[in-house]
Amino acid sequence: MSETFLDSTELVLNMGPQHPSTHGVLRVIVKLDGEKVTGTECVIGYLHRGVEKIAENRTYAMFAPYVDRMDYVAAISNGLGYCLAVEKLISVEAPERAQVVRVILTELNRIASHLVWLGTHALDIGALTPLFYCMREREDILNIFEKYCGARLTTHAFRIGGLQYETYEGFEKECLEFCDKFTPRVDEYEELLTENRIWKERLIDVGILNAEDCKAYGVTGPMLRSAGVEWDIRKALPYSGYEKYDFEIPTRTNGDCYDRYIVRVQEMRQSARIVRQGVEMLAPGPIIGKVPKVLKPPMGEAYVSIEAPKGELGYYVVSDASTQPYRVRVRPPSFVNLQSLDKMARGSLVADLVAVIGTIDIVLGEVDR
Amino acid sequence: MPEEANPGGVPEPQKPEETTAPTGGGEPSAPEAAAPPSGGEESPSASAPPAPPVPKPAAPAAAKPAAAAAAAKPAAPAAPKAPPVMLTTPWEGELVEDLKDEFGGKIKEFSTYVGQSFMVAEAAAVIPIIDYLKIEQGFDYLVDITAVDYPDKPERFELVWILYSFDRNERIRIKARVKEGEKAATCFGVHLTADWLEREVYDMFGIEFEGHPNMTRILMPEGWSGFPLRKDKSIVDMDNRWVRENLGIESGQ
Amino acid sequence: MKRFLRTILLADLFEGLWVTLRTQHPRNITTEQYPAVIPKVGERYRGLPRLNTNPETGETLCISCDLCALACPENLIVVGWVRNPETKRKDLVDFTYDTSRCMFCGLCEDACPVDALELTQDYQMASFTRDGQIFDRELLEEGTKPTKYKW
Repeated sequence: MSETFLDSTELVLNMGPQHPSTHGVLRVIVKLDGEKVTGTECVIGYLHRGVEKIAENRTYAMFAPYVDRMDYVAAISNGLGYCLAVEKLISVEAPERAQVVRVILTELNRIASHLVWLGTHALDIGALTPLFYCMREREDILNIFEKYCGARLTTHAFRIGGLQYETYEGFEKECLEFCDKFTPRVDEYEELLTENRIWKERLIDVGILNAEDCKAYGVTGPMLRSAGVEWDIRKALPYSGYEKYDFEIPTRTNGDCYDRYIVRVQEMRQSARIVRQGVEMLAPGPIIGKVPKVLKPPMGEAYVSIEAPKGELGYYVVSDASTQPYRVRVRPPSFVNLQSLDKMARGSLVADLVAVIGTIDIVLGEVDR
Repeated sequence: MPEEANPGGVPEPQKPEETTAPTGGGEPSAPEAAAPPSGGEESPSASAPPAPPVPKPAAPAAAKPAAAAAAAKPAAPAAPKAPPVMLTTPWEGELVEDLKDEFGGKIKEFSTYVGQSFMVAEAAAVIPIIDYLKIEQGFDYLVDITAVDYPDKPERFELVWILYSFDRNERIRIKARVKEGEKAATCFGVHLTADWLEREVYDMFGIEFEGHPNMTRILMPEGWSGFPLRKDKSIVDMDNRWVRENLGIESGQ
Repeated sequence: MKRFLRTILLADLFEGLWVTLRTQHPRNITTEQYPAVIPKVGERYRGLPRLNTNPETGETLCISCDLCALACPENLIVVGWVRNPETKRKDLVDFTYDTSRCMFCGLCEDACPVDALELTQDYQMASFTRDGQIFDRELLEEGTKPTKYKW
């Protein structure tokens, strides 16, 4: 915000923090030359709650519910990442059954997260119908979560060392039913959008970020894959038994908004595939490993990352051999991905900016933590 | 978010220690559940359960390190007295040899802990190392930059860079220490993603990165004074002051 | 030419509308009529906290062990008790639970050794004041009484 902002030929526009298309309290200061975006600056922090500070004042087990509140549309992924990081520190691995249930729930959560993204993003672009369809399918997933752990959004489903809750009766059946129902539903969304001319014209060649830029900006997740890099932590550095599942990493080459849409839709199909395999693998067994009641990890540190719906979600936990973590650092995918907004939006139109913000798939709770 | 009253995490947190006893790892708190809910004479048995877990933790906690790092050092029974140390194993490999050839004594330590490799380097040498790793060794993705505050040590902040290589499928960490007030060098020129990550470190710890184009706060409001993730100042005071000055009300923390 | 005709006849629009129309059948309706029909939630739902009493004697099951208060990440449970000189046990005097700060994580419930504190399937706990969100022992034992609307 220097003198250049006073230039008479340029218009400075505040988009947000209360703008429906920014999906939360994101404020983008947009410099405009006519309708063209000549620069953007993100102002974030409106939702900063100091999660990392809270962690330093809680015990390991007590902090687990807080991580759900970062990326609140994919709370289970957050919980999984945190549990894995602490398990790494205490060198405990969750039992087989717990891992499979974790994978099933995480993949369902990925579908739910992508559904929220698809619905709201379509809404931004002007397609109202998909939102209701997406919410309807998401409802089925949330019902499974509710029956499994008693909460729908901020679930607190996993505990350090495994699971707190055994699966309920009919869990497998409901998961399979959902998968059966879901695949034709994805076809339905694609029918509405994929070949839709308005949709294509709004998204193709908008907000291009090629593979080089993706790596330079540290962009991960579907955005990286849409640029042609076949990289998924579930395959590259498998955790929680992902190496046993057979699935593909959908990729595209162009790296524009449309490709990101395609990648996410394909990911939903793959997730449904993983859920199916997970249900088949589900065998009786213990659900929680040997974890001391008072958790005191030995002095040390660990960085564990998982493939969250938005990208690489990492937890860097430092222990000083007390009951509370000395430091918990969260590497949020949304925060890092949002950085590339300026690169993508420069030179596009204001209306395209909405599409670009939409396809980054940010959740402000995670950007600001 | 209430009760961040003790940023140092000093006396009070000690209490919650036992607290989590039954919740601990989320186990269904089996032994205590045995207490009969009838109402008669569970008083002795009820007041008993919270007590036993206290002596217990010493045992598993001491036993754990041994299991964790299957390497040397059997867990000494006198563990509580000696300050706990991180039981690392040396990190060896081609990459380490290359780095030793290239940087020599500037990298002080190559270690592995729970299967994760890291090196400890001099703060001034970090950027050349990252540059070298990116260009020569293919570590083309800077995952994260963060810091840890150790107020008691002379070089107070430990900066951590996490790097990943897509080709090698390998993740490493670089750690370096800086004193309070000392500036670290930016790696904005090597990895663009360092922009916001360094700003966040500055915002939270007050470590400035020399050469960064826009070293301003990112998450905290502009008028904020103090750095929240430092361990020596109370965050509640910072919050109270900011709320009073900017909003004219009392903070409810 | 084909493209021109598609544009003139709004073919894309109708294609999209057809998908919409296909789902208009009443059995596809998923909307719930909330205050009139109160939806049932899952058995493990973590909602309104309840302090269980012995159904026969009406005595509280709580043994004032304070474990829930210690397990709570938000420190919102306060257990008040006095030592009964005769039986040497703790008698529960007061129990406050601040639902305005509660995030329903269920850690208190897991910590309770006698299943006295429980998060129930009830979720109607709105109140007009902030103080109304702080539940005392009486409210916790009896539950909230949400307004019933006539429809």
